[in-house]
Amino acid sequence: MVSTFIRHELKAFWRSKNTGKSVAIRVVMALLILYLFLNVLFVGIFLDKALGEIFANDDLVKSFCGILLIYFLFDLLMRLQLQELPTLRVQPYLHLPIKRNTLVRYLALTAVFSVFNLWPFILFLPFIFKIIAADSGFATALAFIIAIGGLTVFNNYLALYIKRKSNLNGWVFLVSATVLILITTCDFRWHLYSLHDISYAFFGRLITIPALAIVPLILGIVMYYFNFQYLKQNMYLEELTAHKVKNYKSSTDIPVLARFGAVGDLAANEIKLILRNKRPRSALVMGLFFMFYGLIFYTNSQYGQTWYIFVGMFMTGIFIISYGQFMFSWQGSHFDGLLVSNISFSDFLKAKYLLFTAVSTVAFLLTTPYAYFGWKIVVVHFIMYLWNIGINTTMVLFFANRNFKRIDLSKGASFNWEGVGATQLLLSFPLCLAPYLIYLPFMVFKHPDMGLVALATIATLFILTRNYWIKQLEADYYSKRYQIAEGFRNK
Amino acid sequence: MIEIKNLKKVYNDVTVVDIPHLTIAKGESVGLVGNNGAGKTTLFRMILDLIRPENGEIQSNGEVVAGHENWKAYTASYLDEGFLIEYLTPEEYLYFIGGLHQQNRAQVDEALAALGDFFNGEILSRGKYIRDLSKGNQCKVGVASCLLQNPQLLMLDEPFANIDPSTQFRLKNMLKEANKNKGITTIVSSHDLNHITDVCDRILLMEKGVIIKDIATSSSTLSELESYFGVGQTVGSVPVVGIDLEENH
Repeated sequence: MVSTFIRHELKAFWRSKNTGKSVAIRVVMALLILYLFLNVLFVGIFLDKALGEIFANDDLVKSFCGILLIYFLFDLLMRLQLQELPTLRVQPYLHLPIKRNTLVRYLALTAVFSVFNLWPFILFLPFIFKIIAADSGFATALAFIIAIGGLTVFNNYLALYIKRKSNLNGWVFLVSATVLILITTCDFRWHLYSLHDISYAFFGRLITIPALAIVPLILGIVMYYFNFQYLKQNMYLEELTAHKVKNYKSSTDIPVLARFGAVGDLAANEIKLILRNKRPRSALVMGLFFMFYGLIFYTNSQYGQTWYIFVGMFMTGIFIISYGQFMFSWQGSHFDGLLVSNISFSDFLKAKYLLFTAVSTVAFLLTTPYAYFGWKIVVVHFIMYLWNIGINTTMVLFFANRNFKRIDLSKGASFNWEGVGATQLLLSFPLCLAPYLIYLPFMVFKHPDMGLVALATIATLFILTRNYWIKQLEADYYSKRYQIAEGFRNK
Repeated sequence: MIEIKNLKKVYNDVTVVDIPHLTIAKGESVGLVGNNGAGKTTLFRMILDLIRPENGEIQSNGEVVAGHENWKAYTASYLDEGFLIEYLTPEEYLYFIGGLHQQNRAQVDEALAALGDFFNGEILSRGKYIRDLSKGNQCKVGVASCLLQNPQLLMLDEPFANIDPSTQFRLKNMLKEANKNKGITTIVSSHDLNHITDVCDRILLMEKGVIIKDIATSSSTLSELESYFGVGQTVGSVPVVGIDLEENH
């Protein structure tokens, strides 16, 4: 039976629209994963050197034992964020004559096959072989491997358990994340205790008493069993679905936008789209995190004005890029409805401009505290803000007319490649290069400020001629609309 | 109201719609029947300018549909859930649609109050987004949004498929009322031959993209259709009600 499940699973993977369509994306994805993998391996191989530098006056093995627990705490936090629940896949089998235990065991066991369970081994195995096996012998090394394996399994199932619980009640996730963060801040910020010492208290003993490795192993097995029981008792469709809808959803308005008529209504709808769906919401949240991007560059005098343009563009326009690159895919599932309703496409476009302008304005205002590093920075930000709402919005919408891939809004953001295609790659080139094409010639001839003026002038020109660009985009859209709508209809 | 000339749509070398000529006059109520794959939804989509025909054109009120937007002001349609904005609550969606037709909230509320029976307390102020409603309730929202627009032309694709029997009867009465009293031209497709012959004055029977019968409804129409679909030889036997899964091309 299990082999049938696995065969179905493989078919599901290869035949899904996401994986099957574009070879290029699969190659890029594989390369990215390989790159990440190599990075972690690299860190793992040179872990002894790194530890030696960070904890210079500690024994290597001692500091290694010290960081293990901390690693697993962060690991748990990461898993809570990113690890996917193996869920609905069992739905087609529930009513068939298959033993409940078989299904539950399959679900529980396959949860081990997650990339997250690879990282601890890649990261720590090299150190264990290089240092611990050499120092304390094979038995101790084996004890470490078993202990790490046990904790990995424990984390794996604990994260899944919390995630399953939080599907039923959103607070579970918040509480567990808060507890984790508290545990770490209690150590690093308030120094109430030292995780480092606690970690060493256990792993340090492993060196003298390798048999202790059985403890994490038992923890892991207990957690697995816990999960197994929970799944078995809750093998009902409602409990298995990935998202829950129980709390009351109220209607809201955005009164400010009502003044813009149909355009405002469309923009208000789009704001609701962003706030009420996981993936666009995380594009917005990511944009907020980008507000700290400047700290990397402005605190370091090595980066001059040339970099400020780049940083300013990303900070004031990250939302245009991260959300806009998938336009109009976000609305793919109801695009037909938009097409037949009494909306002119130019209103539709104006709503996009309104949304982008509003969000960019907020982003610009949020970046004004960077004036602390000099007023010039705010000036550059303002120019790039103009550039974003003048040129980048138009550019993003031009590419939106060339995007035929549907996005399923109900799916989360992490590792979600739906809707990703050549359009996004093509878009990134003009977005990143265009401002420098204007600026660099001036800089080369030692008039960088003239370059800024040129950027500002061109951006302002584009803003003033916005209606012309809307007409161009509309005409362009009319030649492509059947293709766009057809693409969005393909689930 | 609608005039179709030499309309042809081909998917992978298979002709799915082929209509040399068809006129639908103002105020007519037209029922579209045919087995899965007969081309009903494709025809609807072409009338709504959602897909491009290989050949021919469709005129609405004397103006070609493709490339023009005037028809949107007087045409209301609900083909599938893809016509609804799934992350809005039904109220938000209906206010939005009303707003597109220059109706304020009070006007929308008034129009919705008349639909209280049809909604049966399952749509408004239930605290759900449209995506969390059942298919039948989504259909109610779609139909309500159509009526809200006070259209001259109303197009519904299998509206009876997912709704409960009480709602089916209410919908039938609403469609009749819209056609007889308000003079709205209605085009409705269905697999339920009883309902469609009850509601519509004219039946178009499609087979493999071609309209093979164009009949004015009379007392013998139902049995004529039943014998075509091969349900039974005796008049009044139970017709097949099918939920169409194959229609999403």
